[in-house]
Amino acid sequence: MRSRLAEWLVPIGALALFLALWEFAAAAGWLRPIQFPPPSKLARTAVTLAFDGFPEGITLWVHAGITIQRILAGHILAVALAVPLGLLTGSRPLLDQMTAPIVAFCRSVATLSLLPLAIVWFGTGEGAKIFLIGYGCFWVMFSSSIAAVKLVDPVLIRAARTMDADEKTIFRQVILPASLPRLLSGARVALGVGFMVIVGAEMIGTIRGLGSLIMEARTFYRTDITMVGMLCIGAFGLCVMFALARIEAWLVPWQAKQEAQQQ
Amino acid sequence: MAAAIEIGGLAKNFVNDAGPPVLGAVDLTIAENEFVVLLGRSGCGKTTLLNIVAGLEQPSAGIVRVDGAPVTGPGAGKGMVFQQGALFPWLTARRNIEFAAVNRGVASEAAGKLADELLALVGLAGSEHKFPFELSGGMQQRVAIARALALDPKILLMDEPFGALDEITRNEMQDELLRVWAQRRKTVVFVTHSIWEGLILADRVLVMAPRPGRFVLERRIDLPRPRRRSDPTLVALYDEIWTCLRGEP
Repeated sequence: MRSRLAEWLVPIGALALFLALWEFAAAAGWLRPIQFPPPSKLARTAVTLAFDGFPEGITLWVHAGITIQRILAGHILAVALAVPLGLLTGSRPLLDQMTAPIVAFCRSVATLSLLPLAIVWFGTGEGAKIFLIGYGCFWVMFSSSIAAVKLVDPVLIRAARTMDADEKTIFRQVILPASLPRLLSGARVALGVGFMVIVGAEMIGTIRGLGSLIMEARTFYRTDITMVGMLCIGAFGLCVMFALARIEAWLVPWQAKQEAQQQ
Repeated sequence: MAAAIEIGGLAKNFVNDAGPPVLGAVDLTIAENEFVVLLGRSGCGKTTLLNIVAGLEQPSAGIVRVDGAPVTGPGAGKGMVFQQGALFPWLTARRNIEFAAVNRGVASEAAGKLADELLALVGLAGSEHKFPFELSGGMQQRVAIARALALDPKILLMDEPFGALDEITRNEMQDELLRVWAQRRKTVVFVTHSIWEGLILADRVLVMAPRPGRFVLERRIDLPRPRRRSDPTLVALYDEIWTCLRGEP
């Protein structure tokens, strides 16, 4: 119990120390407020944003809510497409060979460089934003799904074959559950990509969303608002990743155990 | 006794491999309920031979008959235990065993009963609901043996099943296997690179040499079980087999 407490105390203590130093440096005049607004100012800004909003009337909650909606929509679409396609590709060596260069190519294209194209294809509405997030998530999820199938321990498939399992049974009852841990971690990494893409995707055609909040604040030299927006995205990302890791540990307990044994 | 396994002129070359064959033309007849141990160093073709009998690999030439019928693929009464256990990590011990039973057409209720019965047989009553990662290496191999038995196989093929275990657990598992085998007589082909393991378990030990994989020594052991390692007959056999193995390049 003591070690659990210590586990939490150390990072929290480090964070508190960091914030205190920052505040002190700002108060001492070593940091320019326009460049590095002190934590106390950020806290006040966060409260103002939460109640009054920026631009006027659009509160932090609205921004955050719409951002999360966009990330989830893009992510869910990408996962729904990428998992079946990836499982199919991973189990067909010819298909895998054919798609490997395409995957490498598309993963290398920075998602945000597609922004102009996305606008041409989908306009400046929700479509373009969800497309960009979906694009970023898709290639991560697709290559994770291919790898998940290819890395299934062949001895499990051999064992199933000695037990009279037919191909359909092997796919459903061996390959699918055996790839589940990698599919879940792929989905988690893809979601992380969604959090990275969102700010850029919200740069255009909207005044709602944490990304647009950050961009709007820039126009008015409100560094404090930009920082609060960033912190918000970071905090959401942290919470979601933590929750997903817990769900993974609960869904595929054998994987956590295996990894612990390998370390 | 009738022949359970007949192997005739069995050879195996790997594709794109110009060297001597992995398995030369080997012949072997194994009687029903006989416990045969294939012994040799890594790469001597013993596992390849076992995989061909299991139907998991195709021979380049020759034929394997199990109960008179040529082997065309895996399954159909050929139980196999792998070195790594190869249990499905997402299934409990009981579910792993049920998987084998259900696939050969046992109704799910009967499969559950069979699983409990087999778990008791291998000394794991009470661990039905444990997952493989909650079991020790030895216990995992007990489940793997129970799972192979759930196929109600005529022959049991074992590929270094205790190779990953520590020596104490390994010796215990050898006794366990003999106890189970005494209750469920099967024809067993057991691959190992432990000379003592072969001597403790086998009715017949076949020593193999590599490239081409072939039998270089065959010894029948008629001693009753359980056997003591200090038995002079076994000590003499150990020396003979060791000399034979050491003589190889």
